[in-house]
Amino acid sequence: MDFEFSQDQMALRELARELLTERCTSAHVRAMMEDPAGYDPALYRQMGDMSLLGLAIPEQYGGSGLGMVEQAIVLEEMGRVAYPGPFVAGVVLAATGIQASGDEAAMARYLPCLATGELTMSFALLEDAIGWGPEVVAMRAVPAGDGFVLSGTKRFVPFGATADVILVVASTGDGPGDVSLFAVPRETPGLTVEPYGMFDLNAKTCALHFDAVRLPGDALIGDLNGGAAALDAVVQRGAVAACAEMLGCARKSLEMSVAYAKVRKQFGQPIGSFQAIKHKCAEMLEATENAHSATYYAAWALDAGAPDARLAVSVAKSFVNEAARKVCGEAIQVHGGIGFTWEYDLHLYFKRAKHLEPLWGDTAWHRERVLEEVLAGRVAGAAAGR
Amino acid sequence: MDLYYTREDEEFRARVRAWLEANLPREKLETLEQQRAWHRAVYEAGFIGMGWPVEYGGRAARPMEQAIVGEEFARVNAPPTLNGLGIAIVGPTLIHHGTEAQKRRFLKPMLTADEIWCQLYSEPNAGSDLASLRTRAELVGDHFVINGQKVWTSGAHRADWGLMLARTDPDAPKHLGISCILVDMHAPGVEVRPLRQLSGSNEFSEVFFTDVRVPAEHLVGELNAGWQIAQTTLSYERGGNTLSRVSRQLALFHRLLQVASRLERDGRRAIDDPVVRQKLGQMYTEIEVLRYGSLRILSRLEKGIRPGPESSITKLYYSEMDKRHQELVLEILGPYGQLIEGAPSAYALQDGVAYGEPGSWAYGFAYSRAGTIYAGSSEIQKNILGERVLGLPKELRADRMQAHPATQAQAGGEGGA
Repeated sequence: MDFEFSQDQMALRELARELLTERCTSAHVRAMMEDPAGYDPALYRQMGDMSLLGLAIPEQYGGSGLGMVEQAIVLEEMGRVAYPGPFVAGVVLAATGIQASGDEAAMARYLPCLATGELTMSFALLEDAIGWGPEVVAMRAVPAGDGFVLSGTKRFVPFGATADVILVVASTGDGPGDVSLFAVPRETPGLTVEPYGMFDLNAKTCALHFDAVRLPGDALIGDLNGGAAALDAVVQRGAVAACAEMLGCARKSLEMSVAYAKVRKQFGQPIGSFQAIKHKCAEMLEATENAHSATYYAAWALDAGAPDARLAVSVAKSFVNEAARKVCGEAIQVHGGIGFTWEYDLHLYFKRAKHLEPLWGDTAWHRERVLEEVLAGRVAGAAAGR
Repeated sequence: MDLYYTREDEEFRARVRAWLEANLPREKLETLEQQRAWHRAVYEAGFIGMGWPVEYGGRAARPMEQAIVGEEFARVNAPPTLNGLGIAIVGPTLIHHGTEAQKRRFLKPMLTADEIWCQLYSEPNAGSDLASLRTRAELVGDHFVINGQKVWTSGAHRADWGLMLARTDPDAPKHLGISCILVDMHAPGVEVRPLRQLSGSNEFSEVFFTDVRVPAEHLVGELNAGWQIAQTTLSYERGGNTLSRVSRQLALFHRLLQVASRLERDGRRAIDDPVVRQKLGQMYTEIEVLRYGSLRILSRLEKGIRPGPESSITKLYYSEMDKRHQELVLEILGPYGQLIEGAPSAYALQDGVAYGEPGSWAYGFAYSRAGTIYAGSSEIQKNILGERVLGLPKELRADRMQAHPATQAQAGGEGGA
């Protein structure tokens, strides 16, 4: 039993923190709000050069062959600075979809350039309906010649307006689980981008309108009608990635609150000496530390293929959603008026955490999954074998 | 990171399970003699005082082994063993601070529960502000003479000995005039008056001391060093036992699941009601998070890192969670959750439980209100986290200003500036 980070993992955290502290300042994040692309391609490429993008990509495809724990470490650092960019869209969501499809040709084609940062990708699941299983997919991919034709609209596609290639989930059969994955270059004729403006101005998403988009046969990733398992893997990893980023937002909000409570004086005393504020900060610490345990347990469980991995993911997402909501929100309360200003950075973390809360399953969705896993007996520890 | 139990741990768990299968009492333990016999069996199997050094009757077991024992005993709802407070707190205190003679005299009968211990800390006017305690221990020749009153003393009515904090120097600043003394509960002048709790049970008492004579060699550590000693004992109390809490909470949860799949609510089984399912999902989520946090503490203990003030997080989280969960249990079960006499087996937590006895839903509900008060209330835990972990400034306190005129002058100067 070892719940501590290894030396290498600590070094990775330092590396990511140094890079992001230097390059992803508050000024940069704010500049990216106004930027149509929403991120700095040079910084993204630099992450590739520093092997941060390929952490979870197998070595044979140019990555480091590590896993979700290492990605979570980097994502926590990204949450701390509200990093804007296509990291999750590409090297978590799309890369997971490709790897989980088992399609070796696609892995050889896409993973090495995802690892270097030469290629950006995104993942398109949602349409009009909200949901995280194949049942939300209405878009049909109709066979035509030796290829397919896609029509319909995908919504909330992260960094979809700038992604080179989008991994699209489309329905290809008659059953509700009959979905397939397609790799669609953004420049394909018939595909148009409608950028969205979100509450978190750094969370660039868009709608993608497919107007009889013709795709060649090799756009299909994995088996025909075999996309549901890959989608499931994407949801699992997407949820843990969101937890790690929310954890970073929470930890930064907690640190700022504690620092402020030590220096801000009212009634002739630092406000942190008042139990009303001290106890709030203590509860924020409790929520943050528990969110840490839940996030890294889930990341480890996915990497290890633990029998309770699905349970752990749903525990983490439902718990961290609430924890980050509490911590980022209470940070504003601790700060008072200054915390509600645009100028102060707290809203960057508050909004990022809120952005991530509904994605890859909200609290209620994951609580239901927790119960299903428990009823199915997929648990660990003394509960196993009950 | 590697969150699998090791093969060694799993083998140990299997041994504990096998022992429990063979030895778990089939009948409820009604008398103290039956409870002592059970305690003795568990002790002889090597599952009591496991973390104690071998020379004092322990097994020098790893923290993980102790945690697994706690986890497995709670999993099968094993009857509690005796002297939990003594073995978890008084024993380690003596091992760290006691004299050789004290260790030889007290540790063995503590482990075997031939002598049962209580902790004489809180007083009517010293609760969260424990250091303001007034029970006086005056050194007269080779004896302390003790006068005063303790309260909320768990297990006092059956205790043979007590670990007392008493004031030995009334003129020193309050934290510096306290000593730690071992008191014979059968000595003349000790009077125990049990208090009935809102749960209906009689676990704690008020204890009066009138000219009680205690030999000076029953002082633990240095004279007037009791507060420091008490601080270290509190950290024994928090940490290694958390997996047994997880397990107890899981046992409750799994019984709740069984009942919820039988109980009809609003024309369907409770387990089919999405609102009930949300509550159940929330409960299990929160229990798992407690488990992860416990594993994190254990992983540190295994590396030889003692839990510091951050162990307050676990105490705070667990006790507040228990309150939340017991409320949810009663929401899901409706009036059945409050039924004690005549509860149908299909819906009861356990059969044949009387008012004030553990084993009913309502008793767990009642008791959850104690968890956020004993061993340092939630508010005290938040002070510890705020001040000792986050480094937030201490509150201006009237007593501190009196004890330290310098502080008062400083505060006054600031106000005048």
